Amino acid sequence: MLVIRNKTARSVIIRMFPFILIPALAILGATVFDSDKHLIISLAIAVLTLFVFAAGYEKKKVGTWRMVIASVMTALCVFGRFIPLFKPITAITIITGMYIGSETGFLVGAMSALISNIYMGQGPWTAFQMLAWGLIGFAAGLLADPLKKHRALLLAYGVVTGILYSFIMDIWTTLWYSGGFDVGVYLSALVTAVPYTVSYAVSNFVFLFFLAKPFGDKLSRIRVKYGV
Amino acid sequence: MRGFTELNPGVLMIYYLFVIGTAMFCMDPVVIIISLAGAAALFVTLSEKRSVKLHLSFLGLFLIMALINPIWYHNGVTVLFVVNDSPVTLEALLYGIFASAMIIGVLYRLRTFTMIMTADKLLYVFGRLSPQLSLVLSMALRFVPLIRTQTAKVRSTQKALGIYREDNIADTLKGEIRIFSIIATWALENGIITADSMEARGYGEHRRTSFSVFRFTGADGIFLVLTLIPSAVFIAAIASGEADFTFYPAMSGIALTPLSLAGYCAYGFLSLLPCVLEWKEDIRWKYLISRV
Amino acid sequence: MEILDIEGLSFTYNAADTETLKGISFSVNEGEFIALCGATGSGKSTLLRLLKPQLTPLGARTGNISFLGKPVEECASAADIGFVMQRPEQQIVTDKVWHELAFGLENMGIKQQNIARRTAEMASYFGIEDKFERNTADLSGGQKQLINLAAVMVTEPKLLILDEPTAQLDPITASDFINTVKKLNRDLSLTVIIAEHRLEEVIPLCDKLLIIENGRLIAFGEPKEVLSRVYGREDIMCGMPAAARISAYLGERECALSVKEGRELVRGYNPVPNTPQPAETNTSAAAVLEFRDVYFRYERQLPDVLKGLTFTVNEREIFCILGGNGSGKSTALAAAAGILKPYAGNILVFGKKLKEYRNQSLYKECLALLPQDIQTVFLRNTVREELEDAGADPSELPFDLTPLLDMHPYDLSGGEQQLAALAKVLALKPKLLLLDEPTKGLDAAAKRTIRELLRTLTERGITIVAVTHDVEFAAECADRCALFFRGEIISTAPPEEFFSENSFYTTAASRITRGHYERAVTAEKAAALCRLGGRKAVL
Ligand SMILES: Nc1ncnc2c1ncn2[C@@H]1O[C@H](COP(=O)(O)OP(=O)(O)OP(=O)(O)O)[C@@H](O)[C@H]1O
Ligand SMILES: Nc1ncnc2c1ncn2[C@@H]1O[C@H](COP(=O)(O)OP(=O)(O)OP(=O)(O)O)[C@@H](O)[C@H]1O
Ligand SMILES: [Mg+2]
Ligand SMILES: [Mg+2]
Repeated sequence: MLVIRNKTARSVIIRMFPFILIPALAILGATVFDSDKHLIISLAIAVLTLFVFAAGYEKKKVGTWRMVIASVMTALCVFGRFIPLFKPITAITIITGMYIGSETGFLVGAMSALISNIYMGQGPWTAFQMLAWGLIGFAAGLLADPLKKHRALLLAYGVVTGILYSFIMDIWTTLWYSGGFDVGVYLSALVTAVPYTVSYAVSNFVFLFFLAKPFGDKLSRIRVKYGV
Repeated sequence: MRGFTELNPGVLMIYYLFVIGTAMFCMDPVVIIISLAGAAALFVTLSEKRSVKLHLSFLGLFLIMALINPIWYHNGVTVLFVVNDSPVTLEALLYGIFASAMIIGVLYRLRTFTMIMTADKLLYVFGRLSPQLSLVLSMALRFVPLIRTQTAKVRSTQKALGIYREDNIADTLKGEIRIFSIIATWALENGIITADSMEARGYGEHRRTSFSVFRFTGADGIFLVLTLIPSAVFIAAIASGEADFTFYPAMSGIALTPLSLAGYCAYGFLSLLPCVLEWKEDIRWKYLISRV
Repeated sequence: MEILDIEGLSFTYNAADTETLKGISFSVNEGEFIALCGATGSGKSTLLRLLKPQLTPLGARTGNISFLGKPVEECASAADIGFVMQRPEQQIVTDKVWHELAFGLENMGIKQQNIARRTAEMASYFGIEDKFERNTADLSGGQKQLINLAAVMVTEPKLLILDEPTAQLDPITASDFINTVKKLNRDLSLTVIIAEHRLEEVIPLCDKLLIIENGRLIAFGEPKEVLSRVYGREDIMCGMPAAARISAYLGERECALSVKEGRELVRGYNPVPNTPQPAETNTSAAAVLEFRDVYFRYERQLPDVLKGLTFTVNEREIFCILGGNGSGKSTALAAAAGILKPYAGNILVFGKKLKEYRNQSLYKECLALLPQDIQTVFLRNTVREELEDAGADPSELPFDLTPLLDMHPYDLSGGEQQLAALAKVLALKPKLLLLDEPTKGLDAAAKRTIRELLRTLTERGITIVAVTHDVEFAAECADRCALFFRGEIISTAPPEEFFSENSFYTTAASRITRGHYERAVTAEKAAALCRLGGRKAVL
C-alpha cells in the first residue's frame, strides 16, 4: 500500500475516494459491463472500499483513546440494534463522526454492521451495510462544524441519511433479485420498504434529538476528566 | 481430516467466498438445484434444533419472490394465460422460481456461515488483514454483552427505586432514554480505564502482531485444494459459455457438453463437500463410541 | 540491588490547587514485597501511577524517580513494570481469555510461536488452562483479577504494582489472590508494591510497610517496627490486622501481625470468663421481612439459586447476611425487593405478601434496595439532579453531602458514591432498608461512618438487612448474623455467638482468641479481656 507523504494531498484523496471514485467506478461498471454483472461490480466496489479503508487505517498510528471510543460506540450501536422498532445505529454513527472525526465515524458505522450481523445473519449485504453506514459517519465528520452549530441541520441530516440508507439497501435488493439494475423492481422495492424507510428516518430524528447534545457533553467530560 | 466446522477460519472463508460467489451469479437451473440441496443439507446437518419456523419462513419468501417475477415481467414466448391484458409467460414464471430458489439456497448457505463463523473466527480473519482493526472488533465484542447486562441491572435497580413507573408510557420512555444515556457514560468511563490498561501493557509501543489459537494444518491444505480445483473447473465451464442457460425470450436447453458436465460435477462436489465431512465425522464418533 | 529510588517526589494535579504528593522519598530493593497504606484520598493511587510512565496523570511533578538507575520515563518499556488496578472487569481489553493473555506480547511485536509458548506457560502457572478459550465476560470477579495478573506477568515485568487489587473480591478469593502474588514474589524474586485497604492478609506477608497520609510519607520500614511507632494513631491503626490492633491496645513492645503471632501474644495473658451480655432481643418484636420456603432459579434449565430459603427479620434490627461468592445472597435481596419472582414459596413484607403490593406501593415508604453495583443507582449528571429526581432533601439527611452536590456521581470516590446512593434510597422513606455490600472498597474510617449511620437509622425505626463479605463490619454492627450457603440460611445468631462458633467465616480476632477467651470477636473486646486478665507472671 503506498503512503502519501503530503498531508493535503492525502486528505484530498481520502475525501475524494468515497464520493467521487466510488460513484465513478459504479457508473463505469454499469456502462461497460453487461447489466447482469452489476451485482459483481457493486460488491467488488464495496469490498474494495472497505479494504482500502482498512489498509489506510492500519498504516496510521491511532491513539489508544480513539480506538477505545470507536469500540465503545460500536458496541452501543450493536446493542441499540436490538431495540425493537427504533434503531439508534445511524444516529450514534453520525454523533461519532461529528465529534471524533470522519475516520472513526466510518469505522464505527462499518464495524457496527459487521458485528451486529454476527447476531442478525451475515451475507453479501454486510458489505453494503458497512459501506452505507460507514459513509454516513464519514460524511458527518466532514460536515462536523455546521452540524454542531445548527441543530436543525443535524436533524435534517439524520432524516435524509435515514432515507438514503433505505434507498441504498434497496439498490442491493434489486441487484440481487434481478441480476442487473431494473428500475421497475427498484421502485417496487422502494414502495414495499416504505415502513422501514419511515422508521429509519424517525429513529434518526428521535435519537439525534435526544442524544446528540448529551453525547457531546459526555465526550467532552471524559476528555476533561482524563485529559485526552 | 477434521470436521468441516473445525477447519481453519481462513480456509472456511475462502470456501464460502467461492461457493456463495458462484451460486449468486449463476442462473443455471442445474447449478441452482445443486446449490439449494447442498446448502439445505448442510444447514440441517449442523443445526441442533429442527428450526421449523425458519424453513417455513424461507418457503414463504420463496413463494412471494417466485410470484413477483411473472407479475412484473411479460417477456417470454410461451404465454400461459392473460390477466388484465398482460400475458403471464412460462419463461417468466420459471425464471421467478429459479431466481428465488437461488436466493433461498444462498440464504441457507449464509445461515450455516453465521453458525460456523463465530466471533473469534471472524476476528482471526480480520486479524490477518489488520491487527488494529481486529483489536477494535475484539474490544467491541467484549463491550456488547457487558452493556447488555449493565442495562438490565440499571433497569431493575431503577424499578426498585420506584422512580420510573411502568404504568405511564411517557414516563417509561423518559426513563429508557435516561438509562441509555447513562449506559453510554458508563461505557465511555469504562473505556478510558480499558485504554489505560492497554497503554500500561505496552499498546502502541511497537508494531503489533496478531496471535491466534487457530492453526493451519495439513487437513486445511487438503480442503483448500479440494475447494480451489472444483471451483476452477466450474468457473471455466461458465466462462467458456458452454453452461450458459438463458430464459428469455425462449429457454435454452441444458447444455450437455463434456466441459459443462464437468462443471456441474465440480459444483456438486463443492456444494456437498462440507456435508460429507460432517457426516463422516458423525459416523466416526458413533463408531468410536460403540467401540469404547 | 536497588530497583526503584524515589527522591523528593511532589505532584500537583492540573485541576487541583494544592499538592497531592509532598516530598516523598524512599527506595526499594529487588525482590521486596512492599505494602502501601493510607486513608482514601491520601494519594496512594497517584503515587503508584507516577511510577508507571504510561499511566502518569496530567500535572506538575518535581523530584526524581529512578528505575534500575535511570529516570523511569527514559528506560522503562511498558513490559518492565506491570500494573494491576482495582476493578477486575475494566482492565480486561479483549473478549477471550487467550487473547487477553497474548495482548501484551502482541503489543511487543513478538512472533506467533513465542506467544503461544509464553501464554501456555502462564496459563498453567496460574491454573487457568481450562479457561483458556472462555469469554472473559463469563468469569467470576476473582478469576478475572487472576487473568489480569497473568496478562501482566506474561511480559516478564521486573516490578509489579497493584492498586487495591482485591477491593471487589470476597474474603476467600481475596486471600487466594494475595497468596498468588506472594508466590510470584517468592518464585521469581519479583519486586511487588501493593496498595490495599484490606490489610489483614497483606501485612503479615510484606517485607516493608509504607504509610502515607495527606500526600506525605509518614513511615517506611519493617512492618513490626513501623506499626509499633504508630500505636497511638487510632485513625491509622483501625485499618490494621487484628493482631496488630490488639498489640497496640495493650501497648506491646513487639507488634504481632499474623493470627499465629496474635495467638501467642494473647496466651501471655490470664484467661478470664467472658459472660455474655443478657440478650436484649425482645421476642415480641414484629416480623418485618419473612421468607417462607422460597425457591428461585434464573432460567428453567439452570439450577435453583434459592432452595427453600426461610428466615425472619424483626423490627429495628440490623440483620447481616454472610456467605461465599455466588451463594445467592444478592439474589435473595433482589427477591425481597420484588425484582425477581420466586417460583415457589412466599415472601412477606410487613406481614403482607409481595404479590399484594400493587402499583409500586412496595417502593413507597416501605422498602428500598441499595444494589451491589452502586453505579446502577445513578442516572443523572450531578448529585444534585440525582437527589431532586428522587425527591430527597439534602438537609434532612443524617449525613452531609453539600460539598458533593455539583459533582458527577461517577467522579465520586467509592465511599462518597455509597453515601450519595444511600441518600437517594433514603428519599423513598423506607421502613425496611436492604443493603448489598455497603462497605466494599472503603477504608476503615469510611466503614466506621457507615456503621454509625446504620445505628442512627435503626434508632429512627428503620430495619436493615445487609449482605456483606466484611466479617469485621458484621461483628461490630449486626444484631444478628446469618450464614448463607447454597441458597439457604444455615445458621442465625447474634454476632458474638455466630463468630465464635464458625472457624472459617469469622473475624481474625475470634481466631486469635479462640480457646482462650470466649466470644471475643472484635479486637477491642479481645484487648479489653486481656487487660482484664492481666499479663501472666513470667516464671
Ligand atoms: N484527576 C485528578 N484531578 C485532581 N485531583 C485528583 C485527581 N485524581 C485524584 N485527585 C485527588 O488527589 C488526591 C489523592 O487521590 P488518590 O486517588 O491518589 O487517593 P488514594 O489514596 O488512592 O485513595 P483511595 O484509597 O480512595 O484509592 C485526592 O484528594 C483526590 O481528590
Ligand atoms: N442474571 C443471572 N442469570 C443467571 N444466573 C445468575 C444471574 N445472576 C446470578 N446468577 C447466578 O446465581 C448464583 C447466585 O448469584 P448471586 O449474585 O446471588 O450471588 P452472591 O451470593 O450475591 O455472590 P457475591 O458474593 O459474589 O455477590 C450464582 O451462581 C450466579 O452465577
Ligand atoms: Mg486509589
Ligand atoms: Mg452479591
